[in-house]
Amino acid sequence: MDLNWFVCFLGAAVVAGTPLVLATLGELITEKSGSLNLGVEGMMYMGAIIGFTTGLQTGSPFFAFIGAALAGILGAMIFGFVTITLRANQIVTGLTLTMFGTGFAGFIGTPIIGERAPQKIIDTFVKVKLPLLGDIPVIGEIFFNQDYLVYLTYILIILVGFYLYKSRYGLNGTIVGENPKAADSLGISVIGYRYLHLAMGGALCGLAGGYLSLIYVPSWQDSMIAGRGWIAVALVIFSKWNPYRAYIGALFFGGLNIVGFRLQQFDLPVSTYLLDALPYLMTVIVLVFDSMRSKSRSHAPAGLGTPYFREER
Amino acid sequence: MARIVPLENCSMAKKVRIRVFAILMAFTLSGFLLLFLGHNPFEVYASMLDGGLGSSYRVKETLIRTIPFALTALGIGLSFRMKFWNIGGEGQIMMGACSATFIGLNFQQLPSFILLPLMAIAGMIGGGLWALIPAFLKVRYRTNETILTLMLNYVALKWITYLQYVLWRDHEAFGYPKIPNLVKNAQLPKIFGLHIGVLLVPILVIGIYLFITYTKKGYEIRVIGENEATARYAGMPTSKIILGTLFVSGGICGVVGMIQVAGVNMTLSIDVSNGVGYTAIIIAWLAQLNAIAILVVSFLFAVMVEGGSYIQTVFQIPQAAASLLQGLILFFVLGSEFFIKYRVIRDRKTRIVTEGEV
Amino acid sequence: MKKVLCLFAILLVLSPLFAGGAQEAEKEDEFKVGFVFTGPIGDNGWTQQHNAGRLAIENELGVATLYKESVPNTQESAKVMRDMIAQGAKMIFATSFGYMDYMLEVAAENPDVAFFHCGGYKNSENAVNYLGKMYQARYLSGIVAGLKTETNKLGYIAAFEIPEVVRGINAFTLGALSVNPEATVEVTWTHNWNDPPNEKEASFALIDNGCDVIAQHQTAPANLQAAEARGVWGVGYHADMNDSAPEACLTSPYWNWDPFYVAVTQEVMDGTWDANNYWGGMEDDVIRLAELGKNAPAEAAAIVEEVAASLVDGSFEVFAGPLYDNQGNMILADGESMDDFAKLGMGFLVEGVIGNIEN
Repeated sequence: MDLNWFVCFLGAAVVAGTPLVLATLGELITEKSGSLNLGVEGMMYMGAIIGFTTGLQTGSPFFAFIGAALAGILGAMIFGFVTITLRANQIVTGLTLTMFGTGFAGFIGTPIIGERAPQKIIDTFVKVKLPLLGDIPVIGEIFFNQDYLVYLTYILIILVGFYLYKSRYGLNGTIVGENPKAADSLGISVIGYRYLHLAMGGALCGLAGGYLSLIYVPSWQDSMIAGRGWIAVALVIFSKWNPYRAYIGALFFGGLNIVGFRLQQFDLPVSTYLLDALPYLMTVIVLVFDSMRSKSRSHAPAGLGTPYFREER
Repeated sequence: MARIVPLENCSMAKKVRIRVFAILMAFTLSGFLLLFLGHNPFEVYASMLDGGLGSSYRVKETLIRTIPFALTALGIGLSFRMKFWNIGGEGQIMMGACSATFIGLNFQQLPSFILLPLMAIAGMIGGGLWALIPAFLKVRYRTNETILTLMLNYVALKWITYLQYVLWRDHEAFGYPKIPNLVKNAQLPKIFGLHIGVLLVPILVIGIYLFITYTKKGYEIRVIGENEATARYAGMPTSKIILGTLFVSGGICGVVGMIQVAGVNMTLSIDVSNGVGYTAIIIAWLAQLNAIAILVVSFLFAVMVEGGSYIQTVFQIPQAAASLLQGLILFFVLGSEFFIKYRVIRDRKTRIVTEGEV
Repeated sequence: MKKVLCLFAILLVLSPLFAGGAQEAEKEDEFKVGFVFTGPIGDNGWTQQHNAGRLAIENELGVATLYKESVPNTQESAKVMRDMIAQGAKMIFATSFGYMDYMLEVAAENPDVAFFHCGGYKNSENAVNYLGKMYQARYLSGIVAGLKTETNKLGYIAAFEIPEVVRGINAFTLGALSVNPEATVEVTWTHNWNDPPNEKEASFALIDNGCDVIAQHQTAPANLQAAEARGVWGVGYHADMNDSAPEACLTSPYWNWDPFYVAVTQEVMDGTWDANNYWGGMEDDVIRLAELGKNAPAEAAAIVEEVAASLVDGSFEVFAGPLYDNQGNMILADGESMDDFAKLGMGFLVEGVIGNIEN
């Protein structure tokens, strides 16, 4: 286990963490405004298939990812219409969205199974070493010798952080999530912000799906997402609704998820089956230690999961 | 401008109208999907019902499927009442199945009437302990239970995989990854053509209904669900109640695992739960945690799942289309609740203007 | 609560209305063949190849078929088989190991239906097992990989430590060693049949460790895509995966169920089926090696062709003595060969494989 091993491993962890962090950011924004959308897996599937088919049709990386984001938004809007406008239960609706999105992708994807993403898209997203930053020893190799979407993810994390903490709109959205009644009396549109945050969240989840189908795997397969949407839901809680911590969480989980393959080379006296459980066990352990240390209040938005109706007495 | 106001006392007839309309809408929309696939939607719907209820064999299969749905929903419903978001039904089923199988494989010389209760108790303990882990951490350190129960589902799945492929692999199976089948003694006897686990359903439905509605403990659970601080202020031992309830909640899921092993599959495999733990969440919510409603919704769900599976075989409808269809139906049913709980009133001013224009 | 009851009532009221139509759908009495699939048809691998065989039955014999995708390895599979028989299926192909006991249960209830289970070991009068000697083509692909490698380190990502997978790893290794005695094969277990992103990561782990040809026993061509992204090579499986990564793909051993499925269906229809197990190989064209890719070593084609011919005419056996496992134990002495029974339950890795089987 030399330095090179660690650099290779961490570089891979950055890639493995990228779809996770995109989806986690998406769910984080959504939850900040008070909607608990458990349909992340479904939106990722929708983004993955629409992104992939758009890519096949147009051959354009740009349109492919726009398509992926739009598909995610479509899923989020279905969720929004049913839970915000029609006021249905968020948890059931989210689970239904997962069922729907998985079916949607499988259905549309059947005729293009095994098809490969267009060469132009594959070529666009090869690893590119950034000037200067990429020359930093170790760090540069790990973080700044990646594909463009990884870089875009760095920017998105900062943008989301800026939006949530520094911009008026983001603060309004946060108030909606913490106390919709107060937001309403301040003249902030609860419904408007919840839709807005859902749409942004959906777009990010769609991008996460697109990353998997267009860059990570680059061909269409049925079991593309394989539970990563659920991990994203967990990572939001893990991150305490903080976009920067979300990145650390996604790297941590993404890394643990693939470290087993690399540890097998060392013939450890541990069953490889138990190594498979490592990411989940470690998440539990870190979470428990964290709560032991801080015994903190819940970081969840106070209004999370509860619908708000002005007219109700 | 339109306003939305809560609707008190929606009449039965109106509720029926709204639900029929919602389901018809869902069927219409998915009908286009089926037309697109080249099927006659009416034939498909007919055979969907046929697949769920069309013969005594099918009704039996639907009932067998209802059992794990209803029991698991009842189990996790208990913790939901306390606003303890236990989404670990899946893992609790697997761990219950695992400990029941352990007894079933190692004490197979025992007579049935001793072995089966032992297995059920083991299942209850296995599932219960698995649910106690997040409950304890939540009570002691306020660790988020949603993420814990979700992660523990994965840990349970990996554990069963390990058992199936390594630890408990049947050495007579030529290296195939298979846990030995349970012997006759360890299999649930049949009653009316169904395994005896079916009796648990009415017992638990009525038991839980009475428990929640009439007992002190049930009352305490409801209070904790309303407001934990109030409960503590009122002098209730909230931690103890949460731990106890979660043990029972997980224990019921664990018994489901035992039933699926000893009554349905006759062996333990990684497919033992196969999503029941997640479906049960939808069921528990749709039934608004009411024990009797859970039974009804579980049955309807079982009809939908059995019917959905049947049309795949009959019409070669891809599985993806079937889950798309189920998703659509659920969306419409969920959305239709709005028209039962609320009505839209248009302000008079607007109405006059519109009328004037007409 | 009431509303749920309502919903229920509606469904019950509507049911007779629908039931009339349903009986019509079931009246057909023609000969049908049912397929129980473990994954989706679109898995790009195992199930897709079985489905190709199903389509061959439809096209070549004009026989109607039924199928159901993603059937879990539980009692559920028995239900699906019964549904198919109720639809008129006279033959059932169950294409996953976990269906075996449930198939035998349904077979006992339906003595006039013929049952075929892919890759198991229990039989009855009307239920048999079938499988292909994939290891033959694996051996050939090992030859190609052994000639290609520059680092003499081959990688192999594999799902689970079961005999079918182990046989493939061993055959691949023996093939590589036959042309390149320096070669080693490093195995990484993924414990998942179908999770393309993780398969890709497992491949990267091997490539980072110096392997320059990655073979696989998974479902998707993720190993090839990983190899292509890193400028090394790979070997596909299940289908000819050349199109998934034309630069990296050296060749693919693959299943061709058509001849077996068509022939055995014809036999059952004619009443000449003898209810024997089937283990066909390249000699029956059930197993094939795909045409070598554009970056395959030039000298490989001739060697592969020669060895393939000797496999087909039976003059050469992949598993023959002297054979040692990677713990140094002798498995077969010089001149000994292995019977089908031992092959079917293979539970050791041959010398040259880096990796182990947990027990």
